[in-house]
Amino acid sequence: MRWSFPSFDRRQRSGLALAAPTAVFLVIFFVVPAAVLLVYSFWISRSFQITPTLTLSNYLRALGNAGMWLSMWNGVWIGAWTAVFSVALSFPVAWYIAYRTRSNAILYAVLLSWFSSYLVRIYAWRTILGTSGLINSTLMQLGMIDQPLSFLIFSRTAVIVTLVHLFVPFTLLLLLSALRNVRTDYLEAARDLGASWRQSFLRVVVPMAYKGIVGSFMFTFILAAGDFISPQLLGGREGVTTGLLISNQFRQTGNWSFGAALAFILLGVFLFAYFLVAQSMRLGRLSPGLRFHPTLPTQEKA
Amino acid sequence: MKSHWTTDQIRDAAEGKLSRRRFINGAAALTGGAVLAPMLPGFARAAGGELSVMAWEGFTMETELKDWLASEGITIKASIIGTQDDVNARLVGSTPVPTDVSEFNQGYNHFYGDELAITTPLDESKLPNYNAEETFAGFYKAPTWFWDGKLHGVPWIWGLNSLVYNPAVVPEPKSYADLLKPEYKDKLAFGDDTLATWPMIARVAGYGDKFPNLTVEELDDAFAQMDPYRAQCRVFAASNGDSINLLVNGEIGALFCGWSGIPNETAKQGVETKYVIPAEGAAMWCDAWFIPTAATNTDLAHAYINATLGAQAQADVCKNVVGGTVQKPAVDKMDDATKGLFDYGNLDAVFASSPLQGIPPRESDEFATYDQWVAKWEEFKLGF
Repeated sequence: MRWSFPSFDRRQRSGLALAAPTAVFLVIFFVVPAAVLLVYSFWISRSFQITPTLTLSNYLRALGNAGMWLSMWNGVWIGAWTAVFSVALSFPVAWYIAYRTRSNAILYAVLLSWFSSYLVRIYAWRTILGTSGLINSTLMQLGMIDQPLSFLIFSRTAVIVTLVHLFVPFTLLLLLSALRNVRTDYLEAARDLGASWRQSFLRVVVPMAYKGIVGSFMFTFILAAGDFISPQLLGGREGVTTGLLISNQFRQTGNWSFGAALAFILLGVFLFAYFLVAQSMRLGRLSPGLRFHPTLPTQEKA
Repeated sequence: MKSHWTTDQIRDAAEGKLSRRRFINGAAALTGGAVLAPMLPGFARAAGGELSVMAWEGFTMETELKDWLASEGITIKASIIGTQDDVNARLVGSTPVPTDVSEFNQGYNHFYGDELAITTPLDESKLPNYNAEETFAGFYKAPTWFWDGKLHGVPWIWGLNSLVYNPAVVPEPKSYADLLKPEYKDKLAFGDDTLATWPMIARVAGYGDKFPNLTVEELDDAFAQMDPYRAQCRVFAASNGDSINLLVNGEIGALFCGWSGIPNETAKQGVETKYVIPAEGAAMWCDAWFIPTAATNTDLAHAYINATLGAQAQADVCKNVVGGTVQKPAVDKMDDATKGLFDYGNLDAVFASSPLQGIPPRESDEFATYDQWVAKWEEFKLGF
């Protein structure tokens, strides 16, 4: 029997044509490798050789490893604070660009930092925060300190500061895109109905920009918590994250199965973090799709 | 003969109506093209060309072989090694990164040659500079690089990994114990290059002669003895380049164990650092060139390896990296400082005092394995 293409109407065909390249790309370069990695995580590996013997030992070893949990906590801490600061710093700028100005100059200024490589930006921060760096030199020249402030660099704070700088352009773009969907008409309507500024912000803006807020937070959190280069170069003795342990398994010991198990545990942590954020937003009545009708002051009078 | 398909034929093919004859014709044309293409004049390889070299920072020989590379029309495409494991990570698996020449530390010889099988036998006839007359006996086809009748690697540079310090911050340390003084807190860094760090940890802990074969208990004890040093440590340097950056910027005053060429590199940036062999000793290393199975230009790779063994190239690179030569004629071309680094008249004694050591076994029931060392190293960095 001869196989033939299923028939699609014109609208469906154009939709498929638009989605197909990305879908194919993701299947080949993400879904398939991830599936292979998942299988590897249940096999045995040693010195770059994989033996297809089904086992849970990689997960048991990882979950029983205190170092893994400490590095995980380290990464989660860095990721969470980076995400909080990135979103908090980006939101007012996104608001200003969306509602207070027609110029994109600020947006372009923020995006300018993209025109340099990741490593260059990390080393630039080393220069700024370092013992003989910009901040210490300035403070010493001003006579405000006698000795360089050593805590500025090689700490989790230094990592968070650097990562916030790296991720603010991303969060700004996502939040701006989300806020541009919240038309001023809605805000005015809320005010006309008696909502305070705070109420209109929490009950109109945040739920409508929910995807942008949660998306930018999680995007930043996942990338920052999984990063191991910035923590290694700026984190000092506390610069070990799970990303580095995973990297070592693939690069150094050749234990791909254990590295894969660590990677999927990290994935589980990220999914749990997403669940926590989403649930927190829901409990705070900040999610879309939920209708709350608090009694407004005007209704109380009536 | 039709030179193109009609739209109907394309539609038929898309709907699975491609005839068997047309399919066979098309497949034959593709296969023939794939087989014959490399033989066509356009694919012939020139004498020069691009050579993909993966080596340590300062070891790519682009400076020392500048004239030779220019005269041969060769461009080096260099990749820098951060740790030796970067090399295996790049070359193992079903899709290795094409690399014409790379280097391995002596401890990785059988791991690369036998277990991973990523080395190819070298053709000695294409390496005339590597010969019994000109090459020091300890480096000429010694068992470390030559086994089973095959030359797996050509040793080309050697030296010491030792304590590197900034005399303005840590004046003249005589022993590692000097680094534990309270005034040096947060002045120390450990390098993430475990080839340098692990042997020195073993030495400082009193297991130098046993390295790399320490039992699990000895491994635990060695790292337990390192805890006071970790308390003095400010950062773990990611690479030699990172160590240089940290020393130049004044972030650290001493590197626990690093490449002896670091002082040269910091001097270029106006910062004086020194390396010293303290009471505990130093760790010897020797790098060997090899041609990976992923190489695409083996003739050029042989020519490059041979050129690095030239007397002047050897003398120059030894000066630049503060290393030792494997070639006798290079000694006379060295300046006094470089020549004085090692007793070339009695290299046997040099190797006796600082023997070339391997890496922990990949598998063993008796000794701590490489995986266990890595795990212990990670725990150490995490502060356990």
